[in-house]
Amino acid sequence: MEVRSLARKKKDNTQISDKQRSLIAYYDPKSPVSEQYRTIRTNIEFASVDNIVKTLMVTSSTPGEGKSTTTANLATVLGQQGKSVLVIDTDMRKPTVHFTFQLPNSSGLTNVITRQLKFDDAVYETSIPNVDVLTSGPIPPNPSELIGSRAMKQLIGELKEAYDYIIFDAPPVRAVADPLILSKYADGVVLVVRSGKTDEEAVKDAVDALKKAEANILGAVLNDVKIKDTSYYYYYSEK
Amino acid sequence: MEETISLREIFDTLKKRVALIISIAGAAVAISAIVSYFMLTPTYQSSTQLLVNQSVEEGQIYTQTDVRTNLELINTYNVIITSPRILEPVIDELQIARSVGELRDQINVGSQGDSQVVSISVEDTDPAMAVNIANTIAMVFQRDIVDIMNVDNVSILSSAELGENPSPVSPNPTLNMAIAFVVGLMGAVGLAFLLEFLDNTVKTEDDIEKKLGIPVLGMIATMDTSNTEVKNVSHNRRNKNGSEKFGA
Repeated sequence: MEVRSLARKKKDNTQISDKQRSLIAYYDPKSPVSEQYRTIRTNIEFASVDNIVKTLMVTSSTPGEGKSTTTANLATVLGQQGKSVLVIDTDMRKPTVHFTFQLPNSSGLTNVITRQLKFDDAVYETSIPNVDVLTSGPIPPNPSELIGSRAMKQLIGELKEAYDYIIFDAPPVRAVADPLILSKYADGVVLVVRSGKTDEEAVKDAVDALKKAEANILGAVLNDVKIKDTSYYYYYSEK
Repeated sequence: MEETISLREIFDTLKKRVALIISIAGAAVAISAIVSYFMLTPTYQSSTQLLVNQSVEEGQIYTQTDVRTNLELINTYNVIITSPRILEPVIDELQIARSVGELRDQINVGSQGDSQVVSISVEDTDPAMAVNIANTIAMVFQRDIVDIMNVDNVSILSSAELGENPSPVSPNPTLNMAIAFVVGLMGAVGLAFLLEFLDNTVKTEDDIEKKLGIPVLGMIATMDTSNTEVKNVSHNRRNKNGSEKFGA
């Protein structure tokens, strides 16, 4: 045991870690929460009847509302449907996607935009079916300029050919201008709102800002809703 | 701002903050109990009664006028009792270090209805002292009224006595705690509603759809993953031969 104590403790198999919780649609596809993500997927598909939604931007009004979790799980349920999905971490100020997917972030989007790396060398294939991930890469001094650059536009254009869906994990709207610039590339914007935490005013401001930027707001995802008993969702599945 | 508040909403608000309400009310009761029992010095009351009555000489008939005169005298006596003319001798008599003003604050003089009885009640932190003061005042008053008004019509009806186990008149801990409970409860309920009113976070689908005018794509429940099984996840670079794996 003395030797073992130096090694990392093995996780208790009945407990799920925080990292894995954020990929619940992959780890526990039968859970009610995963079902809720599938509902969101369906609603996004309905929303894109008139104009095809291929690039999605997931953002929120304030930090810490669950953008990355929503992004990851949305990608997962889309992938499970057989659609090829690419998740791009466009939050160059505070990247989180690599935590969610448990990836290193030594290289990524910033290297591809600045032409230091080819996209194919920077992208990760995950074990989640049909889901690829491009992490943010090293944090640059000028995120807004990189996101607004021609190289970025060109990259997105090329990737649209290669994937069915591209999902941007974007910074919060109220913090920086990046998501407003990003919304130019996005066919649809999904706004994550954490129930009982986000101010109505904050969400209002975010919606107004996005509308000013002529973004196509598909709708909101209400996160962290306190539901007393979700067990009835399980009625059709053997748990 | 057209807002209708239903009974259900009120009930829900109270239910949501029931812990807060109970704890505030409980704290108020606890504080008042501590203050009543440990911080306030108990005061004891004792009283003596004087009868004001003109001594009627033999052969004279005790008339209605005499009674009225006596009644009017009582009001005068009430003032006299609390005057320095009486209280100073009392202080000397008892040899206590108190000013006339302090002593006056301890004394309550009143006559009961239209009777000719004047009652002097004294409050003091020491029950024996209260009895002493009351009796001394009665005695001094009876003695000195003869000089002051040239009448001798005051007799002591009952003197103050020190009981076996005197109980303090104030504070009344039970009453204080009851008051604190009610006040605390009201305050807490008010606070609960205030918090509810000030809380303008988004909570329901309706909040988003009505107030922000954007559709809701879905709701994610708070994750409770206490019984989910764990799989391992691994990733590889696409264009690398072999498998450079980044394990979970």
